[in-house]
Amino acid sequence: MKYRLSFILNNNLEEVLVKPTETLLDVLREKLNVKSPKRGCDTGDCGVCTILLNGEPIRACLTIALTVEGKDVKTVESFISKDGKLHPLQRAFHEHGATQCGFCTPGMLISAKALLDKNSSPSRDDIVEAVSGNICRCGCYYEIVEAVQAVAGGGKKEG
Amino acid sequence: MKEIMYFAPSKVDEALKILAEHRKKVTILAGGTDIVPRMNYYDVEPDILLYIGGLGLNYLKEEEGKLVIGSATTWSKLACDSLVAEKASVLSEAARRGSSIAIRNAGTIGGNLANASPAADLATPLMVMDAELLLASAKGERVVGVTDFFTGPGETVLKPDELIIEIRVPALANSESKTAFLKLGRRRAMTLSVVNVAVRLDTEDRTCYDARIALGSMAPTPIRCVKAEEKLKGKSIDKGLINECAEQAVAESNPIDDQRATAWYRRKAGTALVSRAIAQAAGLTI
Amino acid sequence: MSDNVGKPIPRYDGVGHVSGTTTYVDDVQLPGMLYMKVLRSPVHKGVIHQLDVSPAEKMPGVAGAVTAKNVPGLNAYGMGGDQPVFSPGPIRYKGEVIAAVAAVDEDTAMEALDQIQLDIEEETPVFDPFEAMKEGAPLVRPEGNVFKFNSGMTRKVRLGDVEAGFKEADFIIKGTYTNGVNDHAPMETQASVAYIDATDRLAIHTCSQDLYFHLGMLSAIFGLPMNKIRYIGGTVGGGFGSKNDLHCDHIAGVMALKIRKPVKYRLTRQEETLFTTKRGAWTFQFKDGVKKDGRIVARQIKTIHDSGAYNAMGNYVVDKNAILIAGPFAIPNIWIDGICVFTNKPPSSSQRGFGIINGTSAEQLQMNRIAEVIGMDPWEIRFINAWREGDLGATQFKVVAAGLIEAMQKAAALAGIELPAHLKTMSSQRR
Repeated sequence: MKYRLSFILNNNLEEVLVKPTETLLDVLREKLNVKSPKRGCDTGDCGVCTILLNGEPIRACLTIALTVEGKDVKTVESFISKDGKLHPLQRAFHEHGATQCGFCTPGMLISAKALLDKNSSPSRDDIVEAVSGNICRCGCYYEIVEAVQAVAGGGKKEG
Repeated sequence: MKEIMYFAPSKVDEALKILAEHRKKVTILAGGTDIVPRMNYYDVEPDILLYIGGLGLNYLKEEEGKLVIGSATTWSKLACDSLVAEKASVLSEAARRGSSIAIRNAGTIGGNLANASPAADLATPLMVMDAELLLASAKGERVVGVTDFFTGPGETVLKPDELIIEIRVPALANSESKTAFLKLGRRRAMTLSVVNVAVRLDTEDRTCYDARIALGSMAPTPIRCVKAEEKLKGKSIDKGLINECAEQAVAESNPIDDQRATAWYRRKAGTALVSRAIAQAAGLTI
Repeated sequence: MSDNVGKPIPRYDGVGHVSGTTTYVDDVQLPGMLYMKVLRSPVHKGVIHQLDVSPAEKMPGVAGAVTAKNVPGLNAYGMGGDQPVFSPGPIRYKGEVIAAVAAVDEDTAMEALDQIQLDIEEETPVFDPFEAMKEGAPLVRPEGNVFKFNSGMTRKVRLGDVEAGFKEADFIIKGTYTNGVNDHAPMETQASVAYIDATDRLAIHTCSQDLYFHLGMLSAIFGLPMNKIRYIGGTVGGGFGSKNDLHCDHIAGVMALKIRKPVKYRLTRQEETLFTTKRGAWTFQFKDGVKKDGRIVARQIKTIHDSGAYNAMGNYVVDKNAILIAGPFAIPNIWIDGICVFTNKPPSSSQRGFGIINGTSAEQLQMNRIAEVIGMDPWEIRFINAWREGDLGATQFKVVAAGLIEAMQKAAALAGIELPAHLKTMSSQRR
């Protein structure tokens, strides 16, 4: 049996019919064609599905879709500005080599943005804690922390 | 194919009515951090999914001197709330060490207790604080001490028509009442406990008159180490007593070999952790 | 071109990664696409007496079911060419793929699997390679549990005369080292999307790390020339060797060829962890003859590699390992026997430095043991035995561009370790 779900996704109102067992990850990726949140484990352990729910990072794979009724969901698709410019975090990740295979990158960006939205001058420990729920098997942790530090510290110079 | 029903009531009474009518067919959903992985792998196939996130059970308040926590309060809220830090810091510390930010944002205290893993990190702090749970069904309410709540791995006294409403945490005796929480995992984040320990020491003039020691991941349920607690009562705490007490605490446990650690390792680590926790609460360095 | 040497260059796909627009296989979604699930053997070893997928095929929402019978070409893959796409039996490991279904969604596909009639007679498996090598052990494969190289039941490396070397030695030092299985755990689990395209070619979106290697295998499996297979890949969400073997493409392709509809087959993390190839477990038995001055005059090594149930890269890694396991050291007498054993477990294959890393860690532990036994500094033992330019390697290759000494000197400096003067002045150019 399907139920109607209505929520705000990347500043747009979305309405879909979903089964009670469908997760937010299922709905985003397979019903709404939003592909930046990835599927890595379906148990909440790896972090590649992390998105913002009412501004807070959560695991889309552990969120039953119907429970986000009326709530606000943001994914990496919302980071890019209206005139097509990368968010400073995206630019920093790219410039610091903080992405190799790229699979963990959207989840990392979400966790990093959630941190900077709350704390614009995080310590290194704060940054490490913020992304400690996101696994990177390629081993970009050092560069990821550097990228976030660069943005927190005002970012790299332009040009 | 099975038709699954979903309910998201906005009042506790409505939720209790659904539980009364459908009982064992209902799967209660709060943060989903324990139940949804099982659903994703078809280990749990619910008939009815009852979402309790809209019932307003995420409150934190002080009532009659007790800290009252709504069962749907998240780990994140427990970790950063100033009232919890003031009234039950042992719980804040445990909440801060759990899992990772994204999981803490969803997981609830009620879920942690109802899921009843022997490793439940929020259980041992509540045990040393003598916390009580308010359970409700359509037939009425009852209060159960957290120490009496767990009956086995994944098992509690909760009946199929019952919901945990809130957790009531009595105030500490005075400013000389100190607590500590320590957790050993396989890593700093995203790990279930290999061992966790919570301790409370009530002292007067440097003599401990009452104590609580709770161990997690060391038995089929989180446990109180009552014989070890007795060793501390009426004594002034020193290094020798701490060692004796830690050994006694572990002797009351019954750890097993599992995916995270062996019983042998747990006993050694448990002894070290209990020692450190008592020392921390007593303000000693060992 | 030379303008870019020595400069950090941003990744060409970096913007896609940070925007979330890089397309991985599971991001591919086609109209009318069906989802596949596979039936895996519930037993470690057994004989299939009956397999009937027709009840699954009849279920509403199911587009088709396939077994070994539906493989158009060769029902075999892997570097050893011995693993079936779908096992018709006998079963060699728990989790081995027997059949697959395609349905409107994964829930329906899971239900369809439950409808398949499977009758397996369970047999006694063998898990431990040492048990598998014994006379009378349960047979993992008809040819026997030990791989036969062209040199016999072991890969042989022989240099000089180890027995003479042992007689000459002041110390005989033995050591046994075992590595367990390692999982690559890439963030992207294996997945495949297959369909018949508008030019009547079989198109497959793949996460393979080796497109041409696998295209060759798939060509044989599907009975199609390479120009009739459109193999779309190059974007891998972490490989590390896990995607050096086929896990989904062959199965998805067989289904797409049968039902002529787009299908997606993706592994759950549980399937990825339990059933895909891993770095195999390996035991290394060392016997070294060492002189008082620290020179190793004889090295005898027996390596026992657990290849699992099939030869995914079994003899390949044993060969590779045998060439280099004696270490970058000038040893005049070397005797190596590399053994490749089959057991009733999922096949082991490649992972980061495959065939080498396991051996290196064992060999280096042995060097530490030698240093401890003879009472020598562990740096010194490595310095004095290290290859010099022109030395002879185990398989009689001449050492060219020797650099271990300089690398160790640099490593010590970086680690803030002050080496004694005589080690600081050593060189790969002279003994």
